Amino acid sequence: MIELVLAFFGSLLPAALFNVNKKHFIWVGLSGSVGWFAYSGVLNPSEQVILSTFAGAAAVGIYSEIMARALKVPATVFSISGIFPLVPGIGAYNTVQLIVENKLSEAAGKGIETLASAGAIALGIMLISAMFRVVGKARVQKAE
Amino acid sequence: MRVKELMEIAVKSGEILLKSGAEIYRVEDTIIRIFGAYGVQCESFVLLSGIFLSAEGEDGQVVTLVKRIKGHTIDLSRIELVNSFSRNLQENPLEYDDAKKALHTIENRHRYSFPTRLAVAGANAFVYTLIFKGNAYEGLVALLISLLIYAIKEKISEIGFFQFFEFFVSGLIAGALSFSASMLFPSLNLYKVIIGAIMILVPGVAITNGIKDALYGDTVSSLYRISEALFISVAVGSGVALALTVGFNLT
Repeated sequence: MIELVLAFFGSLLPAALFNVNKKHFIWVGLSGSVGWFAYSGVLNPSEQVILSTFAGAAAVGIYSEIMARALKVPATVFSISGIFPLVPGIGAYNTVQLIVENKLSEAAGKGIETLASAGAIALGIMLISAMFRVVGKARVQKAE
Repeated sequence: MRVKELMEIAVKSGEILLKSGAEIYRVEDTIIRIFGAYGVQCESFVLLSGIFLSAEGEDGQVVTLVKRIKGHTIDLSRIELVNSFSRNLQENPLEYDDAKKALHTIENRHRYSFPTRLAVAGANAFVYTLIFKGNAYEGLVALLISLLIYAIKEKISEIGFFQFFEFFVSGLIAGALSFSASMLFPSLNLYKVIIGAIMILVPGVAITNGIKDALYGDTVSSLYRISEALFISVAVGSGVALALTVGFNLT
């Protein structure tokens, strides 16, 4: 529970630094909580970081697409903020740190993990947005 | 609106989007949408570093425009505003002067005031120290350090040094301060303090956006974004590492 609150602020605060509109503060924060909920929900039983990151990003993606349609705001506003707690910035830093400490094989492992998490997040967000587009198009065609 | 004027509006919209960190496909879509609103066919080619446009003018001549784009941050409210601006144009095509004025307002929209951003950066460090399983004391130290880093980084970027330097110095200060703090209070976990303090510096979103561009097929811009993120990580990481190495060797 406390982690969900932390994730709420963990996406709201960076979003404020990214100059998000005040009106969206609550929805932007919730995006982070939703993502973290899915992430830790998969991480605890499976213990696979990349898979859980993918699940978290997909949850953020679904949330953002729904909110985008409800509030008429681009989905990016919610997805960029929502993925912030999942994003592997610290992994990128750790990689450099390990290289400097001359632990090269650990650095390689960390570096690959960083790229893989970033890939999982991007893929999660984009698969969902592609699905929403396909469904949207199918609806328009049906209506015609 | 004449094609030349239309082109100016479209390029300005694209420029604001690119500088605010929008994806490449969104910039291209927006430009084509703006032209479409006035019933003009256009070809747009967008890179992270520039916008290239061509369309057929009234007299059948080809009109082109190339715009070099330098520097970009993330600004979610500008992306939102330009997006609704371009959608509104489809229903209600504005005159040139009005459209130009609207874009001007979006471009000069104020960010949150410096004290607010500073407080937010500090609170962010506190929250992320806790997320990475640090305790409240470590969070507080990270908060204080990141206040200082944010203020200094902002000053350096006002003076306008190259980006690498900005991040290197910030990393160096973060490392030095965290190290001194852990010397003063040995109960603190040095690495958790550092992680919280540099959270505002590390380019997690940039790496992810880079991969997003690649998945849409904008490979060139994707490489640009990822390598930029790589350089920032190296700058921050080597700054911190230098401070720690000096610190450990002196004590």
